[in-house]
Amino acid sequence: MAPTPAPAPTGPSRRAFLAASAGLALLAAGCTAGSSGGPAVSTEEAERLAGQVTVQEAVVAAYAAATTADPALALSDLSAQAAEQLDRLRAAAPSATSSPAASPAAPPAAPVGADVRTWLRGQLATAAGSHAQACTQQSGARAALLGSIAAGLRGHEAALA
Amino acid sequence: MADDGVLDEGTETAALREVVAAEHAVVWGYGTVGAALPEDARDPAVAADVAHRDVRDRLVALLESRGAEPVPREAGYTLPFPVLSAVDAATLAVVLEEGVSAAWVRLLDQSVEPAVRELAAAELGAAEVRTVGWRTTAGRIPVTDALPGLP
Repeated sequence: MAPTPAPAPTGPSRRAFLAASAGLALLAAGCTAGSSGGPAVSTEEAERLAGQVTVQEAVVAAYAAATTADPALALSDLSAQAAEQLDRLRAAAPSATSSPAASPAAPPAAPVGADVRTWLRGQLATAAGSHAQACTQQSGARAALLGSIAAGLRGHEAALA
Repeated sequence: MADDGVLDEGTETAALREVVAAEHAVVWGYGTVGAALPEDARDPAVAADVAHRDVRDRLVALLESRGAEPVPREAGYTLPFPVLSAVDAATLAVVLEEGVSAAWVRLLDQSVEPAVRELAAAELGAAEVRTVGWRTTAGRIPVTDALPGLP
């Protein structure tokens, strides 16, 4: 199958190819995590989402512990992304930050031995699995956000391999 | 979401069809990626192509089981930029995977069945893992994305 002889786009932009070629314009204006206008959130869904905030707090703490244990790992970019994920989760689950019952994640134990990277990958895998599982029990933008964060952490795992 | 903001099987099916459309484009695009890579560097493109064909076929079967018509592949697609080198190929692969990631996130946003969300979350994760590899090959920094598929 040959490409259609259409005018070349001005350059590669994120999703431009698919949006233009596969009629996926919806993607460009698609879901936005935390957007309003969706179905009402059940109490159960809200509590589950608050639980994932705690999971993500543990990821941020794990990055801090790993950086302390092995500064040579140069984790600043990944750590910043984990913090960004946490911010998005908190924004989507306001009860997680306003409720006095919400306690911060316990700092993970400092990695023992030299293989800090492996330890951190394990922490990321656990959190990614938790977010992915929680995603199946959410709906709308909350499901999209949790699935995206889970995927992001899978990417972190891959980057640290 | 549906016009009335309610998620139902209709919104899910529509999003599934969008993913199929994206997968058709990705499968086509990986032909270009593979052709632009040196022979000894094609394994990741071949593996990705197989993975995308597999999930596309699974989605088509799912849609057919619902009595919904799967989206056919387009007669042709337009490359977003000339692919003249291995770096161009990796950059195209990044565009392809990021595009299909957006379609999976859209499905998560529109779905109602936990099993469909489970599939979407798994495939979104797999796409991001592949994308990390391609960003690395393309020399992109950072090689990871905090929120794959989200705007």
